[in-house]
Amino acid sequence: MAIFRKIKEKINKVIQKNKEKKAQRISKGAKAKEAPEKEIKHAIGTQETNIGGSKFFTPATVRTAPPVVQELPARYFEDKIIIQARDSWWLHSYWEITPRTMDNLRNKLQDKFNSARLVLRVYDVSNIIFNGTNAHRHFDIEVNFDTTSWYIDTKGPGRSWCVDVGLRLANGEFITIARSNIAYTPIDGPSWITDEEWMIPDDMFARLYGMGFGFGKSSPGKGWQERMKRALFSGVFASPGMASMASPVKKVPPLRKFWMVVNTELIVYGATEPDAKVTVQGNPIKLRPDGTFTLRYALPDGKQVIPVEGTSNDGIETITITPIVGKETKSNSLVRK
Amino acid sequence: MHKGYLCLVLHSHLPFVRHPEHENFLEEDWLYEAITETYIPLINVFEGLVQDNVDFRVTMSLTPTLISMLTDSLLQDRYMKHINRLIELAHKETERTRWQPEFNHLAMMYLASFYKSRETFEKYNRNLVNAFKKFQDLGKLEIITCGATHGYFPLMDVCRESVKAQLKVAVAHYESVFGKKPQGIWLPECGFHPGHDELLKEAGLRYFFSDAHGILHGTPRPKYGVFAPVYCKSGVACFGRDLESSKQVWSSIEGYPGDYAYREFYRDIGFDLEYDYIRPYIHPDGVRINTGVKYYRITGPGEKLPYDPHLARERAASHAGNFLFNREKQVEYLYDFMQKKPMIVSPYDAELYGHWWYEGPMWLDFLIRKIHFDQKTISMITPSEYLLENPRNQVVTPSMSSWGWKGYSEMWLQGPNDWIYRHLHKSSQRMTELTKTYSYNNPNGLLRRALNQALRELLLAQSSDWAFIMGTGTHTEYAVRRTKEHLLRFSTLYEQIKSSCIDEGWLSDIEYKDNIFPNIDYKVHQ
Repeated sequence: MAIFRKIKEKINKVIQKNKEKKAQRISKGAKAKEAPEKEIKHAIGTQETNIGGSKFFTPATVRTAPPVVQELPARYFEDKIIIQARDSWWLHSYWEITPRTMDNLRNKLQDKFNSARLVLRVYDVSNIIFNGTNAHRHFDIEVNFDTTSWYIDTKGPGRSWCVDVGLRLANGEFITIARSNIAYTPIDGPSWITDEEWMIPDDMFARLYGMGFGFGKSSPGKGWQERMKRALFSGVFASPGMASMASPVKKVPPLRKFWMVVNTELIVYGATEPDAKVTVQGNPIKLRPDGTFTLRYALPDGKQVIPVEGTSNDGIETITITPIVGKETKSNSLVRK
Repeated sequence: MHKGYLCLVLHSHLPFVRHPEHENFLEEDWLYEAITETYIPLINVFEGLVQDNVDFRVTMSLTPTLISMLTDSLLQDRYMKHINRLIELAHKETERTRWQPEFNHLAMMYLASFYKSRETFEKYNRNLVNAFKKFQDLGKLEIITCGATHGYFPLMDVCRESVKAQLKVAVAHYESVFGKKPQGIWLPECGFHPGHDELLKEAGLRYFFSDAHGILHGTPRPKYGVFAPVYCKSGVACFGRDLESSKQVWSSIEGYPGDYAYREFYRDIGFDLEYDYIRPYIHPDGVRINTGVKYYRITGPGEKLPYDPHLARERAASHAGNFLFNREKQVEYLYDFMQKKPMIVSPYDAELYGHWWYEGPMWLDFLIRKIHFDQKTISMITPSEYLLENPRNQVVTPSMSSWGWKGYSEMWLQGPNDWIYRHLHKSSQRMTELTKTYSYNNPNGLLRRALNQALRELLLAQSSDWAFIMGTGTHTEYAVRRTKEHLLRFSTLYEQIKSSCIDEGWLSDIEYKDNIFPNIDYKVHQ
């Protein structure tokens, strides 16, 4: 353990040094557009999320989808609790307690039931085979009787967890209703375990570590301080449920964004003998079977001279009609009231 | 002699969206857009390289759902209609913009490119998987697989039978399409959970990828960081993603795709043009959609300027040069430092290229040519080739991780989508129960069909895309609907199988609708 502590101190020193270096660099190169700063604030994977989302681009107009005929069942009638690691700190748990189980407990406990609380008991079961009594420690979370899921802040990366949902009586007694699977919250930094055969000096690893996170070779270690603590888990201290409100894709700034666009198009249409040859501005066009035609142009500012020339099928007669169209745009810039 | 390797990985994926029951289905456009803007342009790039004798290596995942759609005749026919409509629109556009020279040449460009798309599509008999297979057979492309329906594995750890089914169905499907077993896998969302390497091994897969922190936070510490693969205890290799090269392409701020000269994604004539004119080319319900015809460049703040293809092309070339320069420096540095050839793994969503970043395929083309002609520091490699050359690697257990938002599971496990797991897990458990109950007396006929369809519905419900879309919080109706629909079909099948009264008419109907994986065997779910 002493060795680990020493290594940890060393790496922390490197990280500290680099943080200082970086602070200097930022203040020096402040004009290098605010971009990098902004990027750091984004959690890792934000871009992947945005771009991934663009694959599923659907128009903003509300579409009426046929309603789903049936809903999913609200319960499956079993006493059950499942936990899953969301990240290095948080577990998500969901559970179900059957009305029958509750009734049984109510009958069994009688008066004691009324003062009982529904509780999630979170056990730290790292590196042990949990038998219900040998956890390293545990803590309780009180929940409402009608709650069926909860985000649990374990405050413990790199640990294994097991959760009981149960009743805690006024006298402190705990009755387990269901016990969860075991879930592991992954470590939030490099492992302290380095096996002998592959030992690598710390400063060397710190450099590789920084490069692995794309921070360049001069900035070892900054990776896990910056990325992990601020960016990776920036939502960690929000209350359960609330963290999830911060959807990565909708970050619409509350700026006033009033706007207007006006364009003009010109439709040129006419009719002649169905077998005539017609050109518009010298380009041959195709007639509809009934001899009519329609052309549509985006109309820019200025004057357009549009000779339409029709020639009979035998080439003997020609008629030319030339509309001349002028367009001018006046605009007021934005007026604010 | 080169000093290191570059491993480009393109992850191509779309969820299974196929609605034979509707003539026009909005979400099917995801596929058509990706075909026109990403898959065909990539094929054209690869073709050009082969034709010019430029050697290259690209690793590409084609997910089983995507392959199923690309090989589906209904969707192929619909794509033909789609591209023909675009050609018609582009014709009209060359006419309409005649007095606007700044747009007219762009309309011509789109017309030519849509014609080219149709030509490529027809050249491979409307089946683009044939094209990718051809490049794999030529030794240029290594095609890897993915979870059968792109289920997110870390949140399936409590029912590993489903992870196994995702893997085995994918591997069998790959084999039926490519005539051999896949060597590696792109884990859906790059999501790894310790222990799943054992399941990969069982499915015959030799390697996968993880995000940088998956390796860097692995145990014990990885000697070479992400610049050499590691072996999990099972012997399956894990390649870590290099974030520096990723950032250069992914990031909207520092990354190349945000350059002002490149084409603006959000200005499409489907939204910009007069309603009656564009009406035949948008959704029949009258909802405006992207057509793929876009006339502006990103430009920067202020009014958007017309797109300039020459400027964009030059920029793509210089960005390719910049990317290569940075990789060379990175490799040289790492080579001295590691005393060993580093491996730079740069994975991207394939749909980033072309669909999101219009010039992406061109950039890739420039990059590969520059690697081939202009330098000697780097060589391109596939993971299989690397493992052949370097069979000895450190043993490390990667950490749980994904390449999603915040690096773990939160994108798929947050307020708007966490309700799905209660039902998904329950359905997995029921599927396992069905497999156990009915695997002894090898059922035939109707029962077998029902069991197989049950697994199809479960797999379709597991697609991470539904949770992803719910997580983004916009236009979630379709994702919610798909999740519920497949779960409900699954439970109905479960009830019918258990009570031995299978409704054949109804079963035939959902077999027709959810016709993915025709040769599925429900027994893999155990």
